[in-house]
Amino acid sequence: MSHFQGIEVAAEVVRAAQAGEPRAHEAIYRACRRPLYTLIRRLVVRGAIADELFQETFVEVLRNIGAYSGEGAFGGWVRSIAVSKCLMYLRSPWHRSLLYLDNDDESAAPVVLLDPASHPDAQASASADVERALATLPALTRSVVWLHDVEGYTHVEIGRLLGRTASFSKSQLARAHVRLRELLEQPAGSTSCTHASSTC
Amino acid sequence: MHARIEHLLSLRDGEPVSADVPEHVSQCAICTGELQRLSAIREQMRALPQFEAPELAWERVQGALAVPERDRRFRMSKIGIAAAAAAVVTFTVIALVVGHFDRRSGAATELAKIEAPLPQGVPPVDQLVAQSQQLEQLLQKLPDRPRVERVSTAATIDTIEHRIQFLDFQLSNAPEADLSEEQSRQLWRERVELMDSLVKVRYAEAGALWF
Repeated sequence: MSHFQGIEVAAEVVRAAQAGEPRAHEAIYRACRRPLYTLIRRLVVRGAIADELFQETFVEVLRNIGAYSGEGAFGGWVRSIAVSKCLMYLRSPWHRSLLYLDNDDESAAPVVLLDPASHPDAQASASADVERALATLPALTRSVVWLHDVEGYTHVEIGRLLGRTASFSKSQLARAHVRLRELLEQPAGSTSCTHASSTC
Repeated sequence: MHARIEHLLSLRDGEPVSADVPEHVSQCAICTGELQRLSAIREQMRALPQFEAPELAWERVQGALAVPERDRRFRMSKIGIAAAAAAVVTFTVIALVVGHFDRRSGAATELAKIEAPLPQGVPPVDQLVAQSQQLEQLLQKLPDRPRVERVSTAATIDTIEHRIQFLDFQLSNAPEADLSEEQSRQLWRERVELMDSLVKVRYAEAGALWF
């Protein structure tokens, strides 16, 4: 389940942060940093970009914390800002044209050699296999499967975030699972060469 | 006829499906197995370890929060001036390199057309966007990157692409960030410079293969 559900920030801390109290800002940062950075890394994959988006997200959260009304979970409010930033990045025209974001034909994606040395546990651990398979999905497809299956977004919500329909989200989820099955069922020896992620 | 994956996902997620789907799945070992596999993958994704936030991220956030909006804009303009100065040097070097490649490649001729002498002022945004698009097209015409290449070349290309992506991020946020016309021009100018550098490196890489 989403790690954001485990975020606990007391109402008085939020109020102190809204009043500009630096220690409250730091408390919020410490409570949210891991789930937030994990979400961004899952959606964007590339570390350098994720770092930038992480910083941008926190700056926006703390600058606009006065806009949090207290309705709904604080973690959910923070998450919505992060998701919005990630999708905005992934949908940027330059990123899309350069990196095949919307390319449904995965065979058109560039092929790269995965370095086994950089993934020492990839063959040994099922979770490493899932992680690697996820990273090879096209960015948009990966975002849909992560937001739906892990973060618990509905297809309607995902469709709205992407400026598409719920049906689009459903078809992307199905496509993602077909691809994940193919990737996870590949024999170990054939997984050294795979399609590049659109953000790697 | 087995259940489609869309139906199995709906079944897994408790969404409404046609009545014959659960009935079929309950009697079909293959579909039951597939349903279990879909559930298992979801659980594996949820159980993936979390990432640790980058070191010094809080310090950077604090630093960004401490800079008032007015100062940020001033700093952006200083960065733009520095970028413009760097552009003069970059364009001069590229013009020399292009002259070299012009004798060997027809495509290099197009690069030379793009790299006309610098105007005195920063060009307007639409010109910079057009230049950037021309460079994109030129880049597309280059042969695919070799599957084996020098680490230094790969690192250089990766660094430039990272910087271009970051610029794209800034540009895609332009309306939200309330960037001024001048700031947009500076960002686009920097993008053109980076695209130039990328084309140059990719040419050199392709040239090494041609010889």
